[in-house]
Amino acid sequence: MAKGYNDPAMEEKFQDRYFHATTESNPEFIKEVERLGRTPAHMCFQCGTCTGSCPSAPRSSYRIRKFMRRAVLGLEREALTDPDLWLCTTCYSCSDRCPRDIAPTDVIMAMRNLAFKEDIVPRNFLKTIQLIYNTGHGVPNNDVNRAARVKLGLEAEPETTHKYPEFIPGIQKILDHYHMKENADRILSEGEQ
Amino acid sequence: MAEEKKQPRIGVFVCHCGTNIAGTIDVESVKDYAATLPNVIVADDYQYMCSTPGQAKIIDAIKDHDLTGIVVAACTPRLHEPTFRTATKEGGLNPFRFEMANIRDQNSWVHMHDPEGATAKAKDAIRIAAAKASLLEDLYPKSVPVEHAAMVVGAGVGGIQAALDLANAGIKTYLVEKNPTVGGRMSQLDKTFPTLDCSQCILTPKMVDVGRHPNIELHTYTEVESVDGYIGNFDITLRKKARGVMSQDEATAKGIVGGGCNGCGDCAAACPVIKPNPFEFGMAPRKAIYIFHPQVVPLVYTIDFDACVKCGLCVEACGEKKAIDLEMTDTFETVKVGTVILSTGYDMFEIEKKREWGYKQFDNVITSLEFERLICASGPTGGHLIRPSDGETPMKVAFVLCAGSRDNTGVGKPYCSRFCCMYSLKHAHQIMEKIPGCQPYIFYMDIRSFGKMYEEFYYRIQNEGAKFIRGRVANVLEDAKTKNLHVYAEDTLLGRPVDLEVDMVVLAAAVQPTENIDPVRKMFGVSCSQDGWMLEAHPKLNPCGTTTAGVFLAGVCQGPKDIPDTVAQAEGAASAASIPIHTGKVELEPYFAQCLEEKCAGCGMCISQCPYSALDLIEKDGKQVMHVTEAKCKGCGTCGGFCPGGAIYMQHFTTPQIVAQIDAFLLGGEQ
Ligand SMILES: Cc1cc2nc3c(=O)[nH]c(=O)nc-3n(C[C@H](O)[C@H](O)[C@H](O)COP(=O)(O)OP(=O)(O)OC[C@H]3O[C@@H](n4cnc5c(N)ncnc54)[C@H](O)[C@@H]3O)c2cc1C
Ligand code: SF4
Ligand code: SF4
Ligand code: SF4
Ligand code: SF4
Repeated sequence: MAKGYNDPAMEEKFQDRYFHATTESNPEFIKEVERLGRTPAHMCFQCGTCTGSCPSAPRSSYRIRKFMRRAVLGLEREALTDPDLWLCTTCYSCSDRCPRDIAPTDVIMAMRNLAFKEDIVPRNFLKTIQLIYNTGHGVPNNDVNRAARVKLGLEAEPETTHKYPEFIPGIQKILDHYHMKENADRILSEGEQ
Repeated sequence: MAEEKKQPRIGVFVCHCGTNIAGTIDVESVKDYAATLPNVIVADDYQYMCSTPGQAKIIDAIKDHDLTGIVVAACTPRLHEPTFRTATKEGGLNPFRFEMANIRDQNSWVHMHDPEGATAKAKDAIRIAAAKASLLEDLYPKSVPVEHAAMVVGAGVGGIQAALDLANAGIKTYLVEKNPTVGGRMSQLDKTFPTLDCSQCILTPKMVDVGRHPNIELHTYTEVESVDGYIGNFDITLRKKARGVMSQDEATAKGIVGGGCNGCGDCAAACPVIKPNPFEFGMAPRKAIYIFHPQVVPLVYTIDFDACVKCGLCVEACGEKKAIDLEMTDTFETVKVGTVILSTGYDMFEIEKKREWGYKQFDNVITSLEFERLICASGPTGGHLIRPSDGETPMKVAFVLCAGSRDNTGVGKPYCSRFCCMYSLKHAHQIMEKIPGCQPYIFYMDIRSFGKMYEEFYYRIQNEGAKFIRGRVANVLEDAKTKNLHVYAEDTLLGRPVDLEVDMVVLAAAVQPTENIDPVRKMFGVSCSQDGWMLEAHPKLNPCGTTTAGVFLAGVCQGPKDIPDTVAQAEGAASAASIPIHTGKVELEPYFAQCLEEKCAGCGMCISQCPYSALDLIEKDGKQVMHVTEAKCKGCGTCGGFCPGGAIYMQHFTTPQIVAQIDAFLLGGEQ
């Protein structure tokens, strides 16, 4: 490749790569994360035990420790727009082991709530909301599963809304209160335009 | 008290303490207010009252204004009461005519965000102090003689050093150790950082010295049973645990000529009972009659009576030396000493409580102290580091730092254990040196190589090829077939999870105060900090002292420290403990209770109230009256508050003085 200053790839490389602590960070962000997550995220000393414990980390680019760092530094944009935010399985392994007694899982949950307020949610999560709204389940029962249950001597439907669909309206009422379904439908339809 | 009383004339001095006080409190207005108080003749302020010019103000004012009492409103009596008492004395007054108003620690510091409130509170404090100062009386400290002897409890390297220093200073020293031998943890170590001297080689000469120093009376296998008395005159009762074996001296004293244990070991060879040796963490056996290791001091065997079946084979093997007495029982001995040094060291934290690292679940996870024994030439494997599962030589070893240290979960310890970084570097060096091709991996959060030549040691180990991974280990799992271990962590510098398969994992477990230390600590009236380590009198200005006069601290019992720091503190404690002994007497603050005999009904009810057993009834002019042993009285005031007849008079805290303080506060100065 010729050495040229009109090359977009080169232009990208020449960009300022410093971290500008005063302009990039929002000091309100950590306060908001701690208010929602109820855990002292600013006490993280970056030991990495959380990532080391995380079942998601070895299979993806998700590093919970980096979200802790972003919380401490107030890197709101970087945290809320990183798709990795949605890779936590909420297993709480990290929270069990953090030597500072912080619950990183709850930091992630707080950030997800903040992201949702800005309509930043992956489509599969929105579809899960729709499924819960309609069936009471994130992962509804299917025929393969039903057959397996019967084979094991169980009833085809478990003791949930699958068997008692009359409770679905109650679940819908809760979701409606938070405008979950409404927002999920809206964001999904906007995405399809 | 009968002397003619002058009208009180008080001087008040308000200190700025730089901005510590003046940054919050309006000193000028406080001073002006002080000048309006009853009996106050002069009020002044100064930047630093404790400085020479500050003290000169007090001295001059006493002379210029013929004062009878001094009030300084400043930091805290703990810091500067002695300073201002001296100034009061230099001005020509009795030093107990000084009163302090604490307007820094208890005011400007805690009310930093409320200057107005703090200023008002400073005025209250000064008004109260001036009211008391108006009623202060001349007092004269009593001095008591100091026994020319000292005791050191715990004979690790700290206790050994302190005892040798005291003994070399000509002081008779009792060295008390609960184990059968002196040496403590240091005798379990192989080499010592950063110089890599052999630990036993540098310790043994000192162990031998304490064993034969003419000024040291060594009591091994002995514990403190009870403590009575006070600085200068402690009466300490020792429990000499039944060891079942007599030393040569003890045998001679019993008239067994040429008898006593000479350390030949014939008894142990004969003994049929086999137990794990706790010195080797159970990795080697010992008999019911045993010594920890060949260099023990004193070289006398000990019977573990919990294990012994009293078969008598050892008695037979011992033969003419007649050293063994299977019916021996604990004996007690009371000694009198002037001062005491506590040096009881540490234990390892039970790292199996952090289940994620698999200690006691997986064979090849060991602690660092077990590592020391395995790598040590005199250890259970003759210095060959082996995997406990199969005896193979490990070629990849992971070191887990901060195992249970710097841990706020409530399961571990919140503090840094301070020597694990350094000994883990040492361990990495040792395996690379002893096992060609063996690779150490050090998982760390920070390497804290803070001492002299320590950073250089870190550099050296890095240069030798140790691999450092910055990240705390999340968990360790075992491959059931090979017994190899998988260490999971994040390499936080790469930002990638790590799964490292190794042959062995060494946990740098946190340390904690010696087990069962609380009763000992309490017998000597020493408090502990939140994390259980013994509490020094002041972390910076009095790191060897405690709040009990005459009791000092050395070594890890006060908080984690390595050998150089332990020895340095031990020398400091020995110096501090020898001062009262060489002075020959100590002055007691004259805050003791006094009996107004004409009011005392002789009921004796106060006697049982006194927590320090300082009171008795005596016969005087045909009447029973209460009597105070002044050296025992701590001035706590329990008796004074209790006496139904008002016959007890607390010097420096008299009822009129306290009433005047309360009035001054409640009535706002309009007495
Ligand atoms: C694995 C490991 C490696 C280390 N390597 C090094 C190194 O290379 N270099 C270095 O500088 N430091 C090293 N250290 C630190 C070193 O062990 C300590 O600094 C040192 O041992 C402290 O000595 P001490 O006298 O304060 O305590 P201890 O050695 O613990 O001695 C205390 C003594 O008091 C006795 N005792 C306790 N309670 C009582 C009681 N109630 N009555 C009577 N006696 C009692 C105990 O039996 C013991 O003998 C290492 C530590 C560990 C864990
Ligand atoms: S485990 Fe806790 S302290 Fe360590 S990096 Fe994660 S959040 Fe921070
Ligand atoms: S809770 Fe989330 S971040 Fe924490 S270990 Fe589990 S998956 Fe990872
Ligand atoms: S009497 Fe006790 S110590 Fe002696 S040989 Fe028998 S078991 Fe061992
Ligand atoms: S000395 Fe090092 S390994 Fe030990 S607790 Fe402190 S920082 Fe952690």
